[in-house]
Amino acid sequence: MQNHKTICARIMRLAGRCRTEVIITSADSALTRFANNVISQNVSNTSTDISVRLMDRGRMTRFSLNQFSEVALKTAFAAALASLKTQKKDPLLLPFSSSVPISASKNLFFPGTAALPPDERAARISLLIKKCKKSGATAYGTYENGAVATTVANNIGVNAFYKESYAVYGVTVRDKDGFGWAEELASDATQIDFARVDRIAMEKARLSRNPRTIKPGRYTVILEPAAAADLMFYLGIYGFGAQFCQEGQSFVAGRLGEKVMSSEITIEDNALDGPSAGMPFDYEGQPRKKVTLIDRGVARAIVHDRKTAALARTTTTGHALPMPNTSGPIPMNLSLAKGSTSMDEMIKSTKKGILITNFHYSNLLKPLTVEITGMTRNGTFMIENGRVTYPVKNMRFTESAVDAFNMVESVGDKPETYLSWGRVSSPALKIRGFNFSSATEF
Amino acid sequence: MFGFAKKAIEIADKHNADFADIRIIETRRQTLNVKNGELGALNDSVTLGFGVRVLFNGAWGFASSDVIASREVERVTRLALDIAKASSTLKNKKARLAPEPAYQDFWQTPFITDPFSITAEKKLDLLFAVDKILRKDSRIRSAVSGMNFIREHQWHMTTEGSRIEQVLLSSGAGYLALAVDKDSAQVRSYPSTHGGQTLSMGYELIDSLDLVENAERVRCEALALLSAPPCPSGAKDLIISGNQLALQIHESVGHASELDRVLGYEESYAGSSFATIEKLGKFRYASPIVNLVADATLPGGLATAGYDDDAVKAQRWHIVKNGILSGYMTNREFAGRIGQNRSRGSCRADGHNNIPITRICNLSLMPGTISASDLIKDTKDGIIMENNKSWSIDQKRLNFQFGCEIGWLVKNGKKTTMVKNPTYQGITPEFWNSCDAIADENSWRLWGVANCGKGQPPQTAMMCHGNSPSRFRKVKIGVKSSD
Repeated sequence: MQNHKTICARIMRLAGRCRTEVIITSADSALTRFANNVISQNVSNTSTDISVRLMDRGRMTRFSLNQFSEVALKTAFAAALASLKTQKKDPLLLPFSSSVPISASKNLFFPGTAALPPDERAARISLLIKKCKKSGATAYGTYENGAVATTVANNIGVNAFYKESYAVYGVTVRDKDGFGWAEELASDATQIDFARVDRIAMEKARLSRNPRTIKPGRYTVILEPAAAADLMFYLGIYGFGAQFCQEGQSFVAGRLGEKVMSSEITIEDNALDGPSAGMPFDYEGQPRKKVTLIDRGVARAIVHDRKTAALARTTTTGHALPMPNTSGPIPMNLSLAKGSTSMDEMIKSTKKGILITNFHYSNLLKPLTVEITGMTRNGTFMIENGRVTYPVKNMRFTESAVDAFNMVESVGDKPETYLSWGRVSSPALKIRGFNFSSATEF
Repeated sequence: MFGFAKKAIEIADKHNADFADIRIIETRRQTLNVKNGELGALNDSVTLGFGVRVLFNGAWGFASSDVIASREVERVTRLALDIAKASSTLKNKKARLAPEPAYQDFWQTPFITDPFSITAEKKLDLLFAVDKILRKDSRIRSAVSGMNFIREHQWHMTTEGSRIEQVLLSSGAGYLALAVDKDSAQVRSYPSTHGGQTLSMGYELIDSLDLVENAERVRCEALALLSAPPCPSGAKDLIISGNQLALQIHESVGHASELDRVLGYEESYAGSSFATIEKLGKFRYASPIVNLVADATLPGGLATAGYDDDAVKAQRWHIVKNGILSGYMTNREFAGRIGQNRSRGSCRADGHNNIPITRICNLSLMPGTISASDLIKDTKDGIIMENNKSWSIDQKRLNFQFGCEIGWLVKNGKKTTMVKNPTYQGITPEFWNSCDAIADENSWRLWGVANCGKGQPPQTAMMCHGNSPSRFRKVKIGVKSSD
């Protein structure tokens, strides 16, 4: 991984008096993919991306590159400075921020995880494949690991650096016409319970053989954490960003302080601690603050960058994406507070309902209600009189995530964290009257 | 660059690799956006790097780096070999590549005006002019216009003796206006959604799009949608075209015909396909008037190139011929599994840092015989939907749902009431078999998909889907979350 300090120093020297912001992202990543009980892809990548924003009296431009020789940087600077001179002045352009103290977040870098070699990944996968072959099942999935380092700096004092490692082990198992899935994410690969992931995916696949067709319609559903996190992701993107609110596109626009969801629901964005912790600063170099977005069903806050905060006459919460952008601030460390209901209790208390492992290919239909459509996948089961009775064929849901979170009856006691756009953590949710609009053939 | 590449080939040969290649790629991108009267993005980017792919003992390894140095190419090639050795511990049978001649060639996207020779100032002037028109009404809460230009310079060298240099160019532009009132947020885009129209062309594409000329209509339609009635529910004859039909082709035929998916190699992520290999040459995918042709030689196509990333020469072939499943998108590794002795050449990678995978080529619906105006005149109870807004399809590419920006009811041969939030659902073979009319070549256009995601790690690819307005009988429309 390249030395960010050296690259920054070189850029700031070339910048001279021109106001300059630098974002450097280095990544070492590796991924072993398996399918049909063999390794099908096995890759490794080393990269460093440098993005430089220049500002001069209300004018702004950005360039990016991955080569940082003196020649490459000088050429890019010369072109950018020429481009800068031709820009129109933007009276609303915010100057760069000066230095702001950044709190330390929890350590998420583990060298052993960052450097996990391909033979170790292969050895781990071989254990699953042996089990699958023995039971007549087929394994698919990935085991990936790596490390990402980020620097955000400018030449008026901001200089923030962060590094984290990650490992994700995700398994899909096919057992005849049954499918099962499980996944675990960790900053330290030794914390992944591989055997548990294998067991859940294989068990779900076995139990979901010979699925039956049921009629689409409204059902009570128990969303396992991955399915619940999928809905959370859309709420995060389209609900809690200040720009979407200021444009009137968000369901919380003008409703802060009002009850907008079930009182079972509390959602926060917290990069500093908790299950979705991550980089403690944003792409303006501002500290990411813990923000309670929904407190027992009441909309409490949204996330800001410096631009939306200035418009709202408040302060940034530290949720900027690289500037300039058209999306505005986004919460990237979302978590839904756990409840006290176990999965067994959720099932036992359900007279008739559907247990959903995961959703597939979800997509937004209407931003104001966060209406989403998508498919169930990798284990969908009927619940009758407090028991899982049989697997059902996959169905398409068409439902407002806001309405669904208003119909939450109980919240699970074991949250799980997934990578999407940032991290999303959610426990299982039991929801009444969830709408399925059609079925499929498997 | 081939001098640099040679090192990787020498190391792979020295270690008796079954096959190896190196792709060195320099990519220049320019992105410009204007949002609500302000500069949303002005980014010039240049990246350079290389990826080495090694097939050793019948198993694959891939490694990449952006450090252009002799010592680094050695390290990366040895790493790719080590990874291939790890892969070979878990293989069933040895991967073998379909034969292909070795080529020494240069290929370049034809263009008239180099988009990188046009100043950012001129491009931004055009975007600000559009923005001004879009925001003439205060109910337009968000107006975003943008352009994208990409030039990818590739040097590809293989252990089989191919030395292929290609320069691929694409240009794109588009905009949207978002109208918001108390109850609704409605968007209209031009020329299409998801970033606008992108083709393998130079700046002449931007000049041809009439961006300013269409801005007022787009604003007015976004505002009109706020008070338009919702799309009715039921079964109607559906007329789609443009980027909506392009996405319909993309999702329900393009991905379904990727042979790696068909064989189960994408099961853990995007899924597999119902179009399994025993159906080849037999399965009635669509009505007999439907011909879907893959074509890597198509002028303007985003997947058009001289060669794919398996060093296979560009080809044209049917995926669906007279309604019957007739082909797949293939790479050299999987072509033999369906008895083909040559790959169709549909294997591509996203940049230098990804391994090539099977990809959708340009895939187009061939024109029919009726004029676009007669298609509407011939429809008694239908709906026209335009510009994709949302898409979702199941993991076997059967059950899909699409949402569009705007719809118009068709009554007794006339386009009548505008409706908002139009959606439709279907099952792929049923839907394509309900196609009973395709407009002629006068309304046939090429539409770019510039953001196709696939694979783990995720890769983005670009391709085009040509089409003319087409009619599908008795489609389920107006899907709702609540009554």
